[in-house]
Amino acid sequence: MHRKLPMYICFLFGAFMLVQFFIPHRTSTAIYETILDWVQIIYAFSLLVGVALLIKHHAIIATRPSAKDRPYSGIVLGGIIGMFIFGIFFGRGEDTAFLWVFKYVQAPMQATMFSLLSFFVASAAFRGFRARNTQAVFLLVAALIVMLGRVPVGDMISGFIPKAADWLLNVPSMAARRGIYIGIALGTISTSLRVILGIERTYLGGSRG
Amino acid sequence: MSVNETLQKRQHIRRIVFILMALSVILPLIFKIGLPLKTTKEVRDVFEFIDSLPEGSAVVFSFDHDTATLPEMIPLAEALLRHSFRKNLRVLGLALLAEGAAIGDDNFRRIGNEFGKVYGEDYIFWGFRPQVTVAMLGLGEDISRVFPSDYYGKDVQSYPVMEGIDSYDDIAGVISIADGDMPVHWINYAQARYGVNVIPAVTAVMATTMYPFLQSGQIAGLAAGLRGAAEYEMLLGKPGRAARGMDAQSSAHLLIIGLIIAGNVLMIIERRRK
Amino acid sequence: MDIGTTVAAILTLAIYSFLYRDNPFYKVAEHLLLGVSVGYFLVTTIVTTIMPKLFIPVFANGELSYLVPGILGALMFLRFSRKLSPYSRIPLALIIGVGSGVAIPAYMQAQLIAQLKTTMLPLDDISNIIIIAAVVSVLMYFYFSREHKGLTGAGAKAGMYFLMVFFGSTFGYTVMARVSLLIGRMQFLLGDWLGIIK
Repeated sequence: MHRKLPMYICFLFGAFMLVQFFIPHRTSTAIYETILDWVQIIYAFSLLVGVALLIKHHAIIATRPSAKDRPYSGIVLGGIIGMFIFGIFFGRGEDTAFLWVFKYVQAPMQATMFSLLSFFVASAAFRGFRARNTQAVFLLVAALIVMLGRVPVGDMISGFIPKAADWLLNVPSMAARRGIYIGIALGTISTSLRVILGIERTYLGGSRG
Repeated sequence: MSVNETLQKRQHIRRIVFILMALSVILPLIFKIGLPLKTTKEVRDVFEFIDSLPEGSAVVFSFDHDTATLPEMIPLAEALLRHSFRKNLRVLGLALLAEGAAIGDDNFRRIGNEFGKVYGEDYIFWGFRPQVTVAMLGLGEDISRVFPSDYYGKDVQSYPVMEGIDSYDDIAGVISIADGDMPVHWINYAQARYGVNVIPAVTAVMATTMYPFLQSGQIAGLAAGLRGAAEYEMLLGKPGRAARGMDAQSSAHLLIIGLIIAGNVLMIIERRRK
Repeated sequence: MDIGTTVAAILTLAIYSFLYRDNPFYKVAEHLLLGVSVGYFLVTTIVTTIMPKLFIPVFANGELSYLVPGILGALMFLRFSRKLSPYSRIPLALIIGVGSGVAIPAYMQAQLIAQLKTTMLPLDDISNIIIIAAVVSVLMYFYFSREHKGLTGAGAKAGMYFLMVFFGSTFGYTVMARVSLLIGRMQFLLGDWLGIIK
């Protein structure tokens, strides 16, 4: 029953949402809207579960005297508790501590963290981006054309470069991506059908019922 | 050469590359060159779409990104918001990623103030909704059911800006400012099912994934990355941060191309030696 | 220069210190980032979703039907209990079922039919011919039910080259994106903080 009940629920709701698309009757639309409403609430709880797991993980480390990373887990917990107090008790709008921390602590650090990648990309360009075979040559040439064609200096070198980049993006690259999209669509449709029909059950924590 | 020496040499080269990278960006920012920037059709399409909307039309800005990509996303959002406010459109906002909520609200107020716009009368920020699929579908049925209250907890329907806006039928377009594939979800669930216009304003990384939809006409245009923002600023006649960053973008690209060529030349030399 | 900008600049430099080597300043900044991000996320989810969608309808408006998704959502927390954790699959199954049900027509319409339709181009232009050839060959590359030999093999090989062009273009744009992020941070440090540039 532990496995069957979720499977039945999955079938019931999945089949309903699918059929409703083709038969948008007044009653079915009302049920459809209610389900959409409910799922937003249920999903929000799943996010909270994720947060709870993270808190649990760091609480264990922070309270273990022998743990090497104890102070760092303390910082994580301090950050969570601080933001929680600011956001819940002192508001989130203009001139609030919550928005201040978001703007001057969280946002700059996160953006900087990602900008580190520019340095690693440069390093990888030197060490790893080698034309070892024909496929790599295709990749390399496409990358060079786009890199030059999408910045003003490319246009200064030759008017042909931006045009080549445009063509590349609008024809072969676009078509290849379209092939991937069609593949993804076919895969998603078949997997969704398998999930609704109870053939695909890995989300229950195993493949066999 | 011992293993230690090789590792040390590699670390040394790595640091030189890092310094070159930093300089390639810093120097053009300090000593401006002002390379001319041409606009592309994709960005002009976005501009013309917004420009053609009659006053009072409603556009939705969906902040579908987090803080990691702010340097790319904010110039795009600012340019598109400035255009929408300048055209006196009704600007509605939401976030499908949690961090987008504070970013969106902050930008709405900042750019809204620039144009003397009033919250609730000219623009509104609904807030954040998780589970993108059902949120997008829900907005097609009844907006006030998905967002009964705005970001500040006040009844959405009590604001004048929401008058006559119930679903996608009353919305001219959804601008998804995204650092992931959220515009694809907007296309799948909002455009395909409800026929609403979708305009992706995405990070450069996501640009190539949007071209199939551009060619099929499923999106009204495409503004991608800092370059897209710079082009939009030019079209608005007000070059800003993005346009000022284009010299640095050019020099950094030249450096990386130089590094790729140098790496390949070294590979050829090593092969010949063997 | 306000205190917020200075704090942001110091934290920015703490993150950049990683470029030299991993160090305690970077680690403190990294963990602080994790903490405040999760705290922000928690507050936003509670205040902008759980409150208006669940607590206000149930406790302020008396709409008791909302207790159903509330209880289903709460069942998710049973995953922390060894004995009762199977019940946490019930809300999960509902979300997955709904997601699957709405995905089928959406992907069919937007990504399959629309994309196939727009590929049916007249063969009067070299670019059109390349588009059709690329879509077909990429699909052949991803078709694993038949061995990649003969015509299928040739098609799949061509598909691989088109994919390489796509990956190359994406790499080009990725470089652009990463550089843009660095430009943004440098504009902040040199402009907003130090005031060297405008």
